Amino acid sequence: MNNILEFSFMWDTFIHLLQFIPVTLFLAIISMILASIIGLASAIVQLRNIPILKQIATVYLLIGRAVPTMVMLYIVYFGLPILLLVFTDKTGIDTGYQHIPPMVFAIAGLTVHTGAYLTEIFRAAILSIDKGQMEAALSVGMTWFQGFYRIIFRQAALVAVPLLANQFLGLIKSTSIVFTITVIELLGGAKIASVETYRYLETYLVVAIMYWSISIVFEKLFLLAEQKLGIFKKEANI
Amino acid sequence: MIEFRNIHKAFGENKVLKGINCTIPTGSVTVIVGPSGSGKTTLLRSVNFLERADSGEIILDDIHLDVEKATKADIHKIRQRTAMVFQMYNLFKNKTALENIIEGLAIVRKVPKAAAKEKALYFLEKVGLGHKADAYPHELSGGQQQRIGIARALALNPDVILFDEPTSALDPELVGEVLEVMKKVAQEVNCTLVVVTHEIAFAREVADHVIFMDGGVIVEQGPPQEILNNPKEDRTKQFLSRYISLIEYNI
Repeated sequence: MNNILEFSFMWDTFIHLLQFIPVTLFLAIISMILASIIGLASAIVQLRNIPILKQIATVYLLIGRAVPTMVMLYIVYFGLPILLLVFTDKTGIDTGYQHIPPMVFAIAGLTVHTGAYLTEIFRAAILSIDKGQMEAALSVGMTWFQGFYRIIFRQAALVAVPLLANQFLGLIKSTSIVFTITVIELLGGAKIASVETYRYLETYLVVAIMYWSISIVFEKLFLLAEQKLGIFKKEANI
Repeated sequence: MIEFRNIHKAFGENKVLKGINCTIPTGSVTVIVGPSGSGKTTLLRSVNFLERADSGEIILDDIHLDVEKATKADIHKIRQRTAMVFQMYNLFKNKTALENIIEGLAIVRKVPKAAAKEKALYFLEKVGLGHKADAYPHELSGGQQQRIGIARALALNPDVILFDEPTSALDPELVGEVLEVMKKVAQEVNCTLVVVTHEIAFAREVADHVIFMDGGVIVEQGPPQEILNNPKEDRTKQFLSRYISLIEYNI
C-alpha cells in the first residue's frame, strides 16, 4: 500500500462492477417509463379538472414530493406487503406477496417519487402551449384526445425534454439508495466489494466515474431527442 | 343556415351576449361589425362551441341544439360541419403548411393519405402558397400563415366557415393579400361565410348581409348598402362615422 491510489485495483473493481450497471439502468429506465405514464395521467387529470381523480392527483403530488426518496422506499418496502397481506386475508385471493422480489418494491418506490415530479413537469409543459392550438384542433373537428395527442403533446414534449433529462439523471442517482432495501445495484455492489478489501476511496472513485459516464451518455441521448423533436421550432437566439 | 335563438352568455358578472336572435342564410357572406367588447367574437365562437353560450338555441341546418343540453357528440357533430379561421392564425406549429391541411382531412374526415395530400396541395395552390408546402409556420409571414389557415378551413369542405378577425393581427401591408384570398373564397365557394372584422371596405364589397353589434345585442342588420351607407340607429352612425367621413374626403 505504497500508492495513494492503486490503479490496477481500480481497474479490477471497474470490471467487477460492470455487472451491476444493467441493474442500475433497469431500475432507472423502468421507473422512468412508469413514472412518465403516471405523471402524464395526473397532469392531464389536473388540467382537465376531472372530479375525484383531480383530488387524488393533488394528494399524490403532496405526498410524492414531500417525502424523501429513501423514506418512500421504506414505506413501500414495509407497507406494501402488509397491504397485500390484508388484501389476501379479506378476499382470499393469494397475491403471493412473500415471493415478490425486492426489485419490485424498489421500482414502485422510485416510480411514486419520480411520478410526482413528472406531473409538474408535464403540467408546466402542457400549459406553455398556446391555447389556440387546441382551439384550432377542435375547430377542424378533432376530438379533445386527438388534439391533445397529435398537436399539444408533441409540442409540449419538446418543452419537457430538458426537464425530463434532469429528472432522469436525478433518478439514476436515486437508484443508488435502493441497496437499503436489499437490491444490489451499482453502489450496493461497490459497498460489498470494498468491504472485502478496505479500499474504500478507490472503489467509490470508480463508482463515481461510472455514474458520471452513464449520466453523460443519457445527457447526449436527451439532447439528441430534443433536436429530433424540435425540428419544427425556430432556434432561439437569446 | 345558421340561426341563433335568444343566445345569452356571461363571463362571471360581465354579460357579453344579451339575447341574440338572427338568421344567417346558407351560402351568404355575413359580416359582423361592432366596437371591441360588443360580443361579436363570442357570438362567432359560440357556433362551434369554443365558447359555450349559457342559454339559447343554435341551429345549423338540420342540427338543432339547445346549448344548455348539448352533449359532447352534438358539439363534435357541429364542429365537423364548420371550420374556423383565427385571429392569431393558430396553425399547428409542429406541422408543415401541407400537414396542417392534411391533418383535418386524414384524421377527422378519414380521407386516405394520398388523396388528402393531393387535396391539401390543391388548396395550398389556391391560396398561392404551393411553393411553401414544406415550410413550418414559424418560417412564414403572418399573411402567409393566415392564407394557410384559410386553406385548412376550405379543404374540409365545411358548411360554414367562421372568420374571427382574420386580419386584425396582420401588418397593414399583409392585410391585402388575406382579404384578396377571402374575396376569392366568397366568390368561388358556396359555403356560408361568417366574418367578424373591422374591415368595413371588405364588408361593403363582399358581404351579402351586415350585422352591427354593440353591448351584447344586435343593433341593426341588413344589406351592406343599407347598414354601412344609411344606418338608422344612432349607435351605428356613431361607429361608422370614422369610415364614412373617410369616404367623403375621398370624394
